Amino acid sequence: MFLVQFEKTLGRYSLLLGKISALLLILLLINVFYDVLMRYAFNDVSIGMQELEWHLYSAIFLLGIPFGLQTGGHVRVDLFYERLSIRNKAWIDLIGTLIFLMPFTLLVGWYGIDFAKEAYELGETSGDPGGLPARWIIKSVIPVAFFSMAVSGVGMILRCVNAIRGTSEKGFDEQSPQH
Amino acid sequence: MIGIIMFFVALGMLLFGFPVAFTFGGVALIFGVFAEGWDMFAFMPFRIQSYMENTVMMAVPLFIFMGIVLQKTHLAEQLLEAMGKLFGSVRGGLAISTILVGALLAASTGVVGASVVAMGLISLPVMMKYKYSKSLACGTICASGTLGQIIPPSIILIILGDVLGIPVGDLFHAALGPGFILIACYIIFIVIVTWLKPEMAPAIPYDESLGTRSQQIRDALKAIVPPLALVLIVLGSIFSGIATPTESSALGGVGAVFLALIYRQFSWKMVYDSALETVKVTAMVFAILMGATAFSMAFSYTGGDYIVEEVLLSLPGEKWGFIILSMLAIMILGFFIDFVEIAFIIVPILAPVAEALGINMVWFAILIAMNLQTSFLTPPFGFSLFYLKGVAPSSVRTMDIYRGVIPFILIQVLVLVSILIMPEFYGMD
Amino acid sequence: ADGKVYRLKMAETWNANFPIFGDAPREMARLAEEMSDGRLKITIDSANKHKAPFGVFDMVRSGQYDLGHSASYYWKGKVPNTLYFTTMPFGMTTPEQYGWFYYGGGQALSDKVYSKFGLRSFPGGNTGNQMGGWFQKEINSVEDLKGLKMRIPGFAGEVMAKLGAKPTNIPSGELFTALERRTIDALEWVGPSLDLRMGFHKIAPYYYTGWHEPATELQFLVNERTWKKLPDDLRTILRTSMKLSSYDMYIQSYHESAENWAKMKQEFPNIEVKSFPSSVMKAMYDANESLLAEKAAEDPLAKEILDSQAQYMQKVRVWTNISDRAYLDSLDNLAD
Ligand code: NA
Ligand code: NA
Repeated sequence: MFLVQFEKTLGRYSLLLGKISALLLILLLINVFYDVLMRYAFNDVSIGMQELEWHLYSAIFLLGIPFGLQTGGHVRVDLFYERLSIRNKAWIDLIGTLIFLMPFTLLVGWYGIDFAKEAYELGETSGDPGGLPARWIIKSVIPVAFFSMAVSGVGMILRCVNAIRGTSEKGFDEQSPQH
Repeated sequence: MIGIIMFFVALGMLLFGFPVAFTFGGVALIFGVFAEGWDMFAFMPFRIQSYMENTVMMAVPLFIFMGIVLQKTHLAEQLLEAMGKLFGSVRGGLAISTILVGALLAASTGVVGASVVAMGLISLPVMMKYKYSKSLACGTICASGTLGQIIPPSIILIILGDVLGIPVGDLFHAALGPGFILIACYIIFIVIVTWLKPEMAPAIPYDESLGTRSQQIRDALKAIVPPLALVLIVLGSIFSGIATPTESSALGGVGAVFLALIYRQFSWKMVYDSALETVKVTAMVFAILMGATAFSMAFSYTGGDYIVEEVLLSLPGEKWGFIILSMLAIMILGFFIDFVEIAFIIVPILAPVAEALGINMVWFAILIAMNLQTSFLTPPFGFSLFYLKGVAPSSVRTMDIYRGVIPFILIQVLVLVSILIMPEFYGMD
Repeated sequence: ADGKVYRLKMAETWNANFPIFGDAPREMARLAEEMSDGRLKITIDSANKHKAPFGVFDMVRSGQYDLGHSASYYWKGKVPNTLYFTTMPFGMTTPEQYGWFYYGGGQALSDKVYSKFGLRSFPGGNTGNQMGGWFQKEINSVEDLKGLKMRIPGFAGEVMAKLGAKPTNIPSGELFTALERRTIDALEWVGPSLDLRMGFHKIAPYYYTGWHEPATELQFLVNERTWKKLPDDLRTILRTSMKLSSYDMYIQSYHESAENWAKMKQEFPNIEVKSFPSSVMKAMYDANESLLAEKAAEDPLAKEILDSQAQYMQKVRVWTNISDRAYLDSLDNLAD
């Protein structure tokens, strides 16, 4: 029962990232619309606002990936997978998570720390007139996102273990996502 | 050699059904660390940053958002149904409408992920509702969503222009003919297929209770206006210089919300739900890109790019032999590596030979672009296929998509051959 | 010298096969390998391989690559004082700037900036005077700059912004469409040697002469640890190869510009080549001066570099005037 509870907590964390991304997306729409409007109607351009566009866009997709993992939103080649029993599916996901997902996300996340730290130590800013300061903020989204993917990976492992042990079939009772 | 082995291992691993993105990433990690050590992955944040700063890709979430809002407000459904009805008893009307809408979308973006996913969201549910064959529906969407690469503006053409030193404007101009022919061929194909096998794409039934035929046509026109206006806003903003192609995708998103407002479908919840769903679909697209960039990193840093170079340098030095073999080489490599790599690594090897043979470089570039466009559709690694799978309902299987794109791949090859043997028809002699 | 082979990896900011800019590092690698009789082997990874055109500084610093080929002013956002080693608006011409760098204290100042990061920077080839850019409308007064939407990145963009222009970010793939559709009014790229590939001459009527990049110098970056582990003779060979290939790129660039200029004028005789009127030049000059004064006030090292450049230019320009300028002017009189 503890594992099921723990899995839920991890799930809430990924869901939070998804919600943040959704809000950032709405901000991105407003941001781009505003920039186009100001440039065309008022002949005014702000490089800072233009840079904010890619800051928002990249935060959206980076933070969205762990959310997508949690909600089963990632593409599989299901030529064989879809015919397997829930137990076998769980085994594939368990092994895949352990040998592919966890090492990959943890390693990228680990190197992402240095990447962001470097920007922080140099006080890196935009090189363009009126550009945004504090590059380290957007750069640190890389390690945050990849460690969050690993957190979602732990959630996947728990779901698999629960399914294999027969405690809960959550996450396997439906197939790929419905839209 | 490692690169080639890695490719086949990844292929095998994908079949187990673990998410594509992390299968790519994981296989790349195992081979990369084995061959070059952990340090190679210190490159990953840089590669990720190159996607973050690539603002052209911003069109992906923005167009997906537009697609989802149109879907949630049923405006897209109404458009497609109305167009299907306008075609009346013509079978395959929905598929033809899908191709036309895809072509319009293609004229506003060159980002395949954006248009395939948006089309998948907009027209797949409608075609399924009217009992279209799943594979035909999927093939149509993947093919028309991929049109963005040949119909300007297009990323492939921009990169090829840069690599070959041809003004982008010339390439855009030259690509129009092949683009239109491709659209026409897709439509002819739909007409023939539905004539041979009516059950694959049933006509939308004529429903007497909805009023007279002319009444229905009037209703249909009414339903077409709003989404069409939206597409015109997107295209118009580019052509009038109000917005760049990427920015136009945001105008599309804002416009969709505005339409929802006019048609009384607006609520904050609808906007938020659409945004949340957009995040999920966007994450799916970018996760695959993150995995693929790790894969191509491991491929090239373990020497894969040198092998490819060697093969190409052994191509014959005589016009037709060179053209045919280089086209075949690009098509085969399209299974392995992404089009950006092909454009930057392979094309420069071929270009001087082509130039020495007196080949018209604009023609050569268009041939390459058509060829690379096909690589988005070829199973098992064609990205369009993954993208559609990501937004398709679970009843659509990978095999449906694979089967569905085959005729469209053949059409593309046919058009490619026609450009090859009749350049004068396309004004490129 | 021992027979040990040193294999060095170099990352360049350019994509594979990028002409002129990319020729310099290849020529450097070739010279180094031949002169060292194969003891120095340099492989070059282009941006399409490492995917980090503007990560070259970090990657050479961390040792992921031993060498880099890029341009110093790209690092202005990370290390503000790197700005001064590429070119400056209203600054020195190429021979003048080489004079400053090799004989007037430039190298020592560059070392002062880069050594803090475990790096050394050497000249990496010069484009010569760059053009002021492609314009959709004529610039007749400072008033015409107000609200002018122009793709002009970096410090030159700051100068333009001070006069009311609106520097605008446009991804390079969308530049052509943006200029054609007048989403922006103007853009600067390089000069005829590279601009023709972009096709701007087909969509913009005015081509303005330069002011903001009179002597754009690329750079070779070397990781300090790599530099130290090389034996003396190989270090000399590397240094010589860098210097020679840089010089060669300057000449190549000059040649290509002349060739392309002739081609452009022949195929597109209607392009109007213009220079900014002196009132505009004066305003830009003043804006530049006041921005430089701000930079000098913020950082003593910036002040040291700027003073060194200003003093050197004052001296060297006198010579330029009585040599090249006087010579060219006297030929003008000949033609009358
Ligand atoms: Na397009
Ligand atoms: Na420039």
